[in-house]
Amino acid sequence: MVVEVECVTPVAAVGSTIVKPDSETDVEIRPDNPWVVLVWNDPINLMSYVTYVLQKLFGYSLEKATELMLDVHHKGRAVVSSGTREKAEMDVFRLHEHGLWATMQKDGKDGNTP
Amino acid sequence: MLDLDPDEKHLLRRLLGEVRDLVSTAPIGDAKMQRLFPPAYTDDAEGEADYQRLMREELVASRLSSIETVDAILVAEDRTLTSTEVDVFAQNLNAVRLILGTLLNVGEDDDDADSPEMALYQFLSWLVDCAINSLMRA
Repeated sequence: MVVEVECVTPVAAVGSTIVKPDSETDVEIRPDNPWVVLVWNDPINLMSYVTYVLQKLFGYSLEKATELMLDVHHKGRAVVSSGTREKAEMDVFRLHEHGLWATMQKDGKDGNTP
Repeated sequence: MLDLDPDEKHLLRRLLGEVRDLVSTAPIGDAKMQRLFPPAYTDDAEGEADYQRLMREELVASRLSSIETVDAILVAEDRTLTSTEVDVFAQNLNAVRLILGTLLNVGEDDDDADSPEMALYQFLSWLVDCAINSLMRA
């Protein structure tokens, strides 16, 4: 099989440019939003893909999505959204549709809330 | 955007056909499908059972519909794809990677293509990365 795909950027499962996060608001955990959604690190999903999916699903800026992706990569997991149980289940579903390893839990159990 | 030759298109259609079969027929809990159907709850067995009862069939349906969209793109005449089409293309090639990567037990730093399966996996990684880069540039 001959690969003749024209692509400028070499494939990279590492190395998005590290950017300083901007001052936009982090995910807020409030008493009426008691559920958090976590994305877990895995050796298959590309960093570029994870960043793209976080922007697509949650409207994060490139900088914020990159920051969250790097948290997933280096810390093993990161909180990507919070809210009611129903919202968390929908967010988990959409993340699963995109092949990300996402789970939900009551806030406070995981020591990594932003 | 992507210049796939007929052999590559045929290969991708075949791979997506295999994913379609697996999504439709693999039993719940099948190890190679665990990345396509991960748990939602890790600490609440009842919550997880309720979630899967409601959502698993929706996820199956969503994946099957998505595969058909990409298959239609692959059989059609070459043309510039919309962002939505590139997005669904990336998602589905990534789904193939998730199954293949699980079967191959890939690690974070596997760079060597020491088997045809790994070479295929890396080809798919390249395609997904190309697609994502074009979406990020748009």
